[in-house]
Amino acid sequence: MTSYYSNVPPQDQRPSLIGMIVCIGLLFIILLIRLFHLQINTFDNYARESEENRITQKRVKAARGLILDRNSRVLVRNRPFYTVYLAKTTETNYNRIRDAFIVATGDSSIDGRYYDKLRNIRLKRDVDFRTVSIVEEQLRLQWPMLSIETEAQRYYPFGNSAAHLLGYMGLYESDNNENYILGDFIGKTGLEKLHENTLRGFDGVRYFEIDASGHVRREFPQRLQAPQPGKDLQLTIDVELQQEIEHAFPDSLAGAVVVLDVRSGAILAMVNHPNFDPNIFVSFQSQDDRVKVLNSETTLLNRAIRGRYPPGSTLKMIGAIAALESGVTDTLSTFAACVGSLQVGDVTFRCNLRNGHGELSLISAIETSCNNYFQHLAQLISIEEWEMWANKFGIGQPTGFQFTPKEAEGLLPSRSYYQQNGGWTIGHLLNMIIGQGAILVTPLQMAKFVAALANGGYMVTPHLNGPTPPSNYIEDLSPHTLGIIQQAMLRVVSGEKGTGKRAAVENISVAGKTGTAQVPNRINQNSDAWFVGFSPFDNPEIAVVVVVEGGGGGGNVAAPIAQKAFAEYHRINDRFTMSR
Amino acid sequence: MITHKEFDFTTVLSTILLVTIGIVMVYSAAFYHQSLLIKAVWIKQSYYAIVGTVILLIIVYLPRKILHNLSYPLYIISIIGLAAVLLWGTGEDAQRWLRIGPIQIQPSEFSKITMLLVIARHLAGCSKENVNSIRGASRSFGIAILPMALIIQQPDLGTALSFTAPLLPMLYWAGMRKVYLFLLISPLLSVICSFEPLWLNLTSYIFALFIVTSSFIIHLSLRNSIFTSCAIFINLTAGLATVYLWDHFLRPYQKGRIMTFLDPESDRLGAGWNIIQSKIAIGSGGFLGKGFLGGTQTKYEFLPAAHTDFVFSVIGEELGYVGALFIIIIFFVLIVRTLQIGQLAKNRFHSLIAIGIASILTFHVFVNIGMTIGVMPVTGLPLPFISAGGSSLFANIVIIGLLLHIFANRHEY
Repeated sequence: MTSYYSNVPPQDQRPSLIGMIVCIGLLFIILLIRLFHLQINTFDNYARESEENRITQKRVKAARGLILDRNSRVLVRNRPFYTVYLAKTTETNYNRIRDAFIVATGDSSIDGRYYDKLRNIRLKRDVDFRTVSIVEEQLRLQWPMLSIETEAQRYYPFGNSAAHLLGYMGLYESDNNENYILGDFIGKTGLEKLHENTLRGFDGVRYFEIDASGHVRREFPQRLQAPQPGKDLQLTIDVELQQEIEHAFPDSLAGAVVVLDVRSGAILAMVNHPNFDPNIFVSFQSQDDRVKVLNSETTLLNRAIRGRYPPGSTLKMIGAIAALESGVTDTLSTFAACVGSLQVGDVTFRCNLRNGHGELSLISAIETSCNNYFQHLAQLISIEEWEMWANKFGIGQPTGFQFTPKEAEGLLPSRSYYQQNGGWTIGHLLNMIIGQGAILVTPLQMAKFVAALANGGYMVTPHLNGPTPPSNYIEDLSPHTLGIIQQAMLRVVSGEKGTGKRAAVENISVAGKTGTAQVPNRINQNSDAWFVGFSPFDNPEIAVVVVVEGGGGGGNVAAPIAQKAFAEYHRINDRFTMSR
Repeated sequence: MITHKEFDFTTVLSTILLVTIGIVMVYSAAFYHQSLLIKAVWIKQSYYAIVGTVILLIIVYLPRKILHNLSYPLYIISIIGLAAVLLWGTGEDAQRWLRIGPIQIQPSEFSKITMLLVIARHLAGCSKENVNSIRGASRSFGIAILPMALIIQQPDLGTALSFTAPLLPMLYWAGMRKVYLFLLISPLLSVICSFEPLWLNLTSYIFALFIVTSSFIIHLSLRNSIFTSCAIFINLTAGLATVYLWDHFLRPYQKGRIMTFLDPESDRLGAGWNIIQSKIAIGSGGFLGKGFLGGTQTKYEFLPAAHTDFVFSVIGEELGYVGALFIIIIFFVLIVRTLQIGQLAKNRFHSLIAIGIASILTFHVFVNIGMTIGVMPVTGLPLPFISAGGSSLFANIVIIGLLLHIFANRHEY
């Protein structure tokens, strides 16, 4: 045979095949070992990674519980709004999408910054319909990782009303609570904070199958963990009463009003002035308003439970009870006539009526709020005796009201307090018995005190929701004494010389006591105006406490506000009774 | 004339299996794709398989001298094709395709075959002394370097590198001494040993160790100081040039591919994405796989180029270790059979072609599968017979045609 080569074929000595086959075999064994490692040894890891790849969890925020008033009117609800979401992406993509969003919407204020740990970035929250349609119709075509989601935000339909009670929400800031993620809102004060755990509910999880570009392809309804909505919170507040009192309060002045059900301790209204609109704390626009409120301590102060005031003459009932119970006086006996001032040692105590009240019984002394009469009494009883009764009525003590921020304690100075602060003289008791000196109370304490006077000596626990907490009867308090005090308080409003006449309500019997408290350290300013009272006289239902900082005379400024509270309470109550 | 031809059963069967599995897996890989054009790629693939089979039969029945005589003209045509790609080519990030009427071809796939023919023809005409001479060896390299240089311009480094694959085995088959083969690959080894991203702080020690060891081997085998010093000089140059080229010559995407091959996690969402997703696909396939059409990595498009370069990842995910093992065994059988045909063929030209074919197949299979499981860097090399791509499938069927032609004429000198 001859070859078809043109030239002579060289001698063809071929090497062995074995070497080449072994080399190729080795290469293939590398592949097989590696495959074995991936698919058999580390299968679990890759199976998990593959699951994580395609299955995404989406938190379903639980609907926050509503806050309702006693008649189930909604004080706080949830308002849906739209948020532009950006699924997990690279920083470069984030920057591109952000720029495209700004160009398309002309809105350069972006909420969500890039943060590689976040699965979803909230690019912009609470957008309008125009932005929604721009995102859906233009941007999503090029950037499928953009999406529009509905979120819910707190809404306070009554605005400023009862703002200090409801509290406000704020962005969750810490990083150590698994129930929250960055961008969530959490109760910062008030009921929103106090009941955060029950209002919040439990978030659910939805499972989706997504593709590489983040598009949802399928949902797993069987794996859905449904969210448990937060529990609604029903309050004892009557928002109508609350609003009426708020309107009656002078706009330019600060102060507080508390309306307490004397039978249960339920708070029917709690007015603070000045107040704020909690809506600005959940708005994504009004940064300036929020900063203004947050920087103003006087606006945020819940005066009704944290304001510490000298109670003035509204405290005279304590002195009267102490005197009656110790037998120093009775209803009818009179002391030396009030001449307008009283000299004790080298101190002159002035009465509120410059020319003096003349001869007074205990009842008329309360009716006319004669200072000198009580200062006479003070010289006959000991500080310990007086303090014991003040203590029993909860003066200078926490009321047991559960709230956040916590109520203030006030101050009930004892003999030792004065011994440590400049020395004790009888003059201090002469001051304290008319509610002056170092003594400080909160409006809520006074409400509890007045409620006890009204309900026959039971110390109730002020509360806003839930079952009625137990109340304690004041030991050693005789019904006779209480009756005298109640009579005296009735005379304050309905008596001829009563200082609280302006609290009188047509057809309703109101009892009360005015107070005009001089505030130490507040020079050149009017006194704080007080009125405390209850109604109806025969079968008391509510206690009302009004304090107006720098308001002047209690009878002129505070009593009319209390009058409004009593009148509105009965008007609303009658309407409800009739409708039933 | 010739009326009856003997077909090699092993080659035919393994080819049919591979092409069929390829079409089925391409169908699965593109099943959930949003583009209808890509969804229908398996039809196109079947069409190419049928047309390829016709060409295969024609090649088998070609008169036996024609391959030998046409090798240079075909080589020149393919070089012109490659040059045309650079002038009028199309492609997304590299010019790889040439559009002729309705069809797009990838001349680089065909120039692989023509290069093979020309090298085989050259080496077949060389005596053993010739093969071991600088002139004889360098001519083989020259034949390969011309198309490679044109392909690098496209740029397509992976395909260009695949042209070097048949060189050494064919030289070895033609009778080159082993020490010369070592001499030839030592610059490459020197590049690897001096590649800083691979060895980090140890680079200088490893490179020094390599230079010393390689010089010893060469000197002890040849006992020729001139040779040894030349080898040292070339290896040193290659090593030092690597450091320079890494910084100044490689394109950023090529650097990125190499870097992410070494550490895919360094750029998880960018260049490392392909490798990570491919490994997840294969790893999560487990022993038996997720089932046909059941691969979630593929379905949800986490796996890029699932029907082309990363089709093996789909196999690993859906058919598991069993499926992957089966495919690799078929490839191994086909390659070993190709080598045997090379051994059987009495004609030296034919024998060399078969060895070249086996090397090219091995290179493609190893680099492609290696890439999907993270033992090789990501290159655009397709998996023979399986990856979607008309030119690639067509060229591979033509290669099988050549092999069957050689088998049919194995008794002829």
